[in-house]
Amino acid sequence: MKAKQIVKSIFALLLTAVTLVSMAPEAVKASELPYTTYNYNYWEYIVYTPAAYEPDFSVSGKDLTYNGEPIGPFVTPQDMCVSDEGLIYLADTGNNRIVVMDGKMSEVKRIITTFDNDGTEDTFKQPTGVAVSESNQLYIADSQNKRIVVLNEDGTLARIVSNPTSEALDDGFVFVPLKVSVDYADRIYCVAQNMFEGIMVFETNGEFTGFFGTINVEITLWEKFWRKLASKEERAKSQLFIPTEFTGIDIDPDGFVYASNIDPNGVQGVRRLNPRGEDVIKKGANENLGGDLQIDGTTDYSGPSQFVDVVYRDKGIYSCLDRKRGRVFTYDHEGNLLYIFGGLGTQAGTFKLPVAVENVGNDLLVLDATDAKVTYFKETEYGRLINDAVGLRYDGDEAEAVDLWQRVLYLDENNELANTGIGKAYLTAGDYEQAMKYLKLGMARDYYSVAYRRHRNNFLTENANVYLTALIVVIVLIVIYNNLKKRGIIVTKKKKKGDEQNA
Amino acid sequence: MRKYFAAEKWKYLLYTISHPMDGYYWIRHKDRGSVPIAIILVVLFGFSFTGIRLLASFVVNDLDPRNINLAYELLGVLVFYLLICVSNWSITCLMSGEGRLKDIAIAIGYGTVPITFSLVLATIISQYIADDEQAFYTLILVVGIAYGVIMMLIGIMQVHNYTLGKTLLTLLLTFVAMFIIVFLVLLLSNLLGMVYNFFHSIYTELIFRT
Repeated sequence: MKAKQIVKSIFALLLTAVTLVSMAPEAVKASELPYTTYNYNYWEYIVYTPAAYEPDFSVSGKDLTYNGEPIGPFVTPQDMCVSDEGLIYLADTGNNRIVVMDGKMSEVKRIITTFDNDGTEDTFKQPTGVAVSESNQLYIADSQNKRIVVLNEDGTLARIVSNPTSEALDDGFVFVPLKVSVDYADRIYCVAQNMFEGIMVFETNGEFTGFFGTINVEITLWEKFWRKLASKEERAKSQLFIPTEFTGIDIDPDGFVYASNIDPNGVQGVRRLNPRGEDVIKKGANENLGGDLQIDGTTDYSGPSQFVDVVYRDKGIYSCLDRKRGRVFTYDHEGNLLYIFGGLGTQAGTFKLPVAVENVGNDLLVLDATDAKVTYFKETEYGRLINDAVGLRYDGDEAEAVDLWQRVLYLDENNELANTGIGKAYLTAGDYEQAMKYLKLGMARDYYSVAYRRHRNNFLTENANVYLTALIVVIVLIVIYNNLKKRGIIVTKKKKKGDEQNA
Repeated sequence: MRKYFAAEKWKYLLYTISHPMDGYYWIRHKDRGSVPIAIILVVLFGFSFTGIRLLASFVVNDLDPRNINLAYELLGVLVFYLLICVSNWSITCLMSGEGRLKDIAIAIGYGTVPITFSLVLATIISQYIADDEQAFYTLILVVGIAYGVIMMLIGIMQVHNYTLGKTLLTLLLTFVAMFIIVFLVLLLSNLLGMVYNFFHSIYTELIFRT
């Protein structure tokens, strides 16, 4: 009997153990990334999201070989560019060379250190910018030689752009090109040092045609008032009101120029300039394209984001690189923030001094000048779903995007863009109650209103019979009641009282 | 207690709302108003004020509900009420106003009724409108608030037996007085805090030495 009991209890224990083990949840894996991925919601609160991008690998030039010889580490590289064929051009500024790599950065295709300039061998001096045109010509901002060098695909010199002359330029102006970009008509857009008037534009033949996208200085009424009061000497001493310089350029296939700049107010760090040089970017619900929204504080780490580069990716999506906190901000064509990731630090995926961002498909490359390395960020499932859904929305396929948005919600249930996307699809499908639910979660007032108005109309038309019947019944009842009262069948209290008094 | 909340007082409240000139005159001269009712009305106003901010429909309401705190706002409304009554009283005392503090309290308190009513009505209406119908919502609010402000103005005018011009002048001075009171209160609390800190540091010093 006793033995039986022991066996029984051992069996029970074992059963419990087995159940517990099998039911135990998988160990929750903490994020191994050195940064958090987040976004701002409608109320400008930080909302942490799953990672949209994770670092895959980084390249510093040490392990790369060209023609069997190691190429040596990069030294303060300042810019890079991805051609239509997927080749990566890196301006290795400190080594005075341009390194051309394949899309995975495992193989060096070419190293450009010299070129043939009218029979003499010419070199670069601190090349800080690089761009590739549609016809595969290579544009190099050769900063300390004060010129832009244009090379053909085979490495021969096409032309040199230097010494721009114009009445708009000061006499002592020294042309130091920093960043360069080129559009489909081979016009050159150049960010030059100390050039506050805007982006310098050169025609195909290298002639300087003017400035582009000048950022206007905004002087507040208060500052104007003080300047009125100040004497001439005081005014001379006070800070000049100079516009901010552009920091990076990219050109989309339609010829619109995306240009980043450092906005001291943190309101607009990127512009989309049409061919006339006017800013036509959409700023989204909170009228902000300046990176981080919560920037209060007095430490070095606080303050508005400083965009140093911008890359136009695809379907209206563009990413901006913040030097201040080493983060990449991605916006869609309506100016909504899609995701924010990255940070300063020494771990893989963080930077010391990020200077340039580029894309290979939907993956992103970030160039760090101090660490002299390129970090390759791969999109995660979360990032891919958002990119694809935003792309479908850009193309107008909102119905198709719903499936993707549903999966985004599965990963990040507070995603406002996803809620709005689903809500809009319900709206088109005619399910107004569901549409209202999702549009409210997505904080889309205008679409919510449309859905609500249609819902209300439906409700009224469906229930008109009931209400009208009820109204008629009530009127008939009142008429009957009054009739009865008149005939004295129903006696009200007041009348009774009066009757008594009369009696 | 019966006196303050008698049915005729409530009835007279309604009469005052529809006939403010006459109503406030008899409140001053025949004591037909009630201060407790006025205070209750102000509390109701506080509730409806927070109510519209918290409950008005998503379409018209652009406030973050997490920033809205009924307790703080109610306290704020009551403190503001006290402040405006006291400062108006202190100014009108010097400017040959006939009203007593309780008349002023009633004048302001009864004046909140149209505002409270419009806030509640607008909160309900807001549930049934789309964004291009916001005009109705705004209209209700504007009419209610305008009527309430006019009532308060007439109330102050009647209880003090002022002309309209003098009422506006005293109101302006009332706001100046409010600022002075707030300033003095802040100053006082600051100084008291310093005194407290002084004794507290003596205390800690003694504690550490023994």
